[in-house]
Amino acid sequence: MLLHKKLCKRLILLFMTFWLSGCAPVTENNLIEEISPVTFLSISKGDKGKLKVSTIMPPLSKENKFVMSQEVSLLKEGVQKYNFNFYQEIKSGQMRMLVISDELGKDGIMSIINVLLTDPDISPRIYLVLVKGNFDEYLESQLDKDENFDYSFYRMLKHYEEKNQGELTVVNLHQFKHLLYTPYSDPFLPVFKIEEDGVNYEGTALFKDDKLVETISSLDERIFQLINNDHYLKVLPIPEFEIVLGHVRSKIIVDIDSSYSTMTYTVNIDTRIEEYRGEKQLFDPQQLENMKKDIETHLEKQTYELVKKMQELKVDPLQLGIQTKRPFSKPMEEKKWIEMFEKMDIKIKYNINIDPLTDANSKRPNL
Amino acid sequence: MMMGTHQLFKKNETYNGLYAMLLVNRLQMLYFFLIMPNILINPYMIWVLIAVGLLSQLNLLLLSKWLLTRLSSNGYNGFVQLFGKKLVRFLSFIGLFFILLKISVITLGFSEIVQTFILPSTDTNFLVFFILLLCFYVAGRGVEHTIRFVLISFFCTFWMITFFVFFVFPPIAQLSDLYPLIPMEWKVENWKAVFLILSSYSGPEFLVFLGPWLKTNNKTFRYLSYGNALTVVEYVFLFIASLFYFGSNFLSKTQYPIINMGRYLQNPVFERIDIMMLSFLLFNLVFAVSLFLLLFYGASKIAFGKMSKPTSGKGLLFSVFLIFIGMVLVNELFWKSWEKQNFLLNLQIIAGSISYFLVPLVIVLVMKKEGVKKHAST
Repeated sequence: MLLHKKLCKRLILLFMTFWLSGCAPVTENNLIEEISPVTFLSISKGDKGKLKVSTIMPPLSKENKFVMSQEVSLLKEGVQKYNFNFYQEIKSGQMRMLVISDELGKDGIMSIINVLLTDPDISPRIYLVLVKGNFDEYLESQLDKDENFDYSFYRMLKHYEEKNQGELTVVNLHQFKHLLYTPYSDPFLPVFKIEEDGVNYEGTALFKDDKLVETISSLDERIFQLINNDHYLKVLPIPEFEIVLGHVRSKIIVDIDSSYSTMTYTVNIDTRIEEYRGEKQLFDPQQLENMKKDIETHLEKQTYELVKKMQELKVDPLQLGIQTKRPFSKPMEEKKWIEMFEKMDIKIKYNINIDPLTDANSKRPNL
Repeated sequence: MMMGTHQLFKKNETYNGLYAMLLVNRLQMLYFFLIMPNILINPYMIWVLIAVGLLSQLNLLLLSKWLLTRLSSNGYNGFVQLFGKKLVRFLSFIGLFFILLKISVITLGFSEIVQTFILPSTDTNFLVFFILLLCFYVAGRGVEHTIRFVLISFFCTFWMITFFVFFVFPPIAQLSDLYPLIPMEWKVENWKAVFLILSSYSGPEFLVFLGPWLKTNNKTFRYLSYGNALTVVEYVFLFIASLFYFGSNFLSKTQYPIINMGRYLQNPVFERIDIMMLSFLLFNLVFAVSLFLLLFYGASKIAFGKMSKPTSGKGLLFSVFLIFIGMVLVNELFWKSWEKQNFLLNLQIIAGSISYFLVPLVIVLVMKKEGVKKHAST
């Protein structure tokens, strides 16, 4: 008993010596007053191949906020430069978004993605966003009006990610990486455009490997949401027919023939008419049927052109190549697939199921 | 804290089949399962996981045969009866290296993960020191309490697997990630994967030395099998989940797949679920290392012919100290550089496979030769 007490004391002494002698095993200081856990980084192209890294500081304390930006050749060097410049140390554990300029996207963002993946502090759930226009300038102008701009932007992305609401593309780091490194697939990101009234969602940026090649917007973007991202759209306006379809749900059937020369892409849609300003009497089953045919042809044409564009750009964000994988045969090489995909004959087929208008006046008052 | 250390190997009570089951299961879920998908890579390895799991079942059958004999419950004397005094001394001397290698790999591997994800600026030697300090405390309570600790270790770690259910449902799960289901070509690296699997299932062979503390009867094999089956399910489930999450192509690039998957989980209260997971996994590590420490101490007593002397806390402390020095050396010389770490990993993969394969087999063969008969204990 006496021995054990002695031993215990000695161990505690040994333990204390380590701590007091400066051999403290933990050298990171995470005192909340002394760190600034940044919520986002914005990266754009600087001069001579450098990167321009900006963020809003300080993210936490109630001091005057300002936009800090540095031109550096390496991303982490930017973080270091912040530390040299500001009394609080930057920590990346609370990072929620990475805003990348579209010019940088065109050059390729593989190295940036790898930096994020390597840092265990950075969550694989951070959102990646592409921005057209000068984001830094916009941030400066926002500081007086809306101090928590970064937070509300994050909330917006989070809101649309959560239940796959089918309004905007929201991509996090893991998803981007997954599409980037998996064969037969190419990544995509949401694109926001800086305009006078604020940051507007524009559409989806398609990447070939890690390079931005095309931005799709308006109806193409809606179709992309419908056939790939969420398989659901809250509203689908088709101005050509003065109609708005609501709560559009889609089911996709992809069929590639055995020689890999033709692909039949069938989209089955369930929807209802949300708004109509045209001349047709949609209560008449015949007219509704005509309307349906018109929309089907229109969407088929649009989708065909969208897929055609992907074929020309040799990008496959729809992961069509996965359809060629079989449980008991060797998967083909990605290069071979892309070559085949380029030449493939694509047939698009839409089957739309529209609920007739209900609870509305059967006759338009002005008729 | 060191109360009763002079009775480290005292036997007051025996543990029933449930403990045997948990011992098998937790000794198989130590460190390798954290890095396993990174080496298995190909979806068809699922079948190998299951096949080796069945093989492991056979091993357990042999093991249970030994555990059912009267000799096994006699501990050291039983082994002397079976092999003779000199051979036992020699074998325990060799065993020291196996135990040291196993402790080193699991502790260093684990502390490196902790360093990567939780304490990036901390030297791993410090982590090893603290882990061993904890293990010394647990081991100091004696074999009985250490075996009982498996219950805590199990309940601290088992539920973690339920987190991963998230990964086997869409949108993350795509069936095509599991294709091709059969191997189209067999590479040399695949053999490494096979041995890794074999080595991962190793651990239960240490149960041969725990005979005195296990209550054995005709149901023992059944319980051992349950433990093993649970491990097979866990391995296969985690591997499939990681295939869904990373895809076969990226798996080879991620060093700690299971922990990285934990980082993707989100919870409104805890943001870093990986940190929480690792902290709880520490219980399992401490349990296993404490058990190995006791075995190491016991084996060194046998190897150096000190069986007549009573066990003491000082002796245990001395062997822990030796292990600590050994581990720091291994850390500095091997573990910290990537290629040499791989060498050490390969060594443990082979050593684990050999010990798991040979220990029960040799014992049963010798038993047959010596004509040792089963006894039905109650």
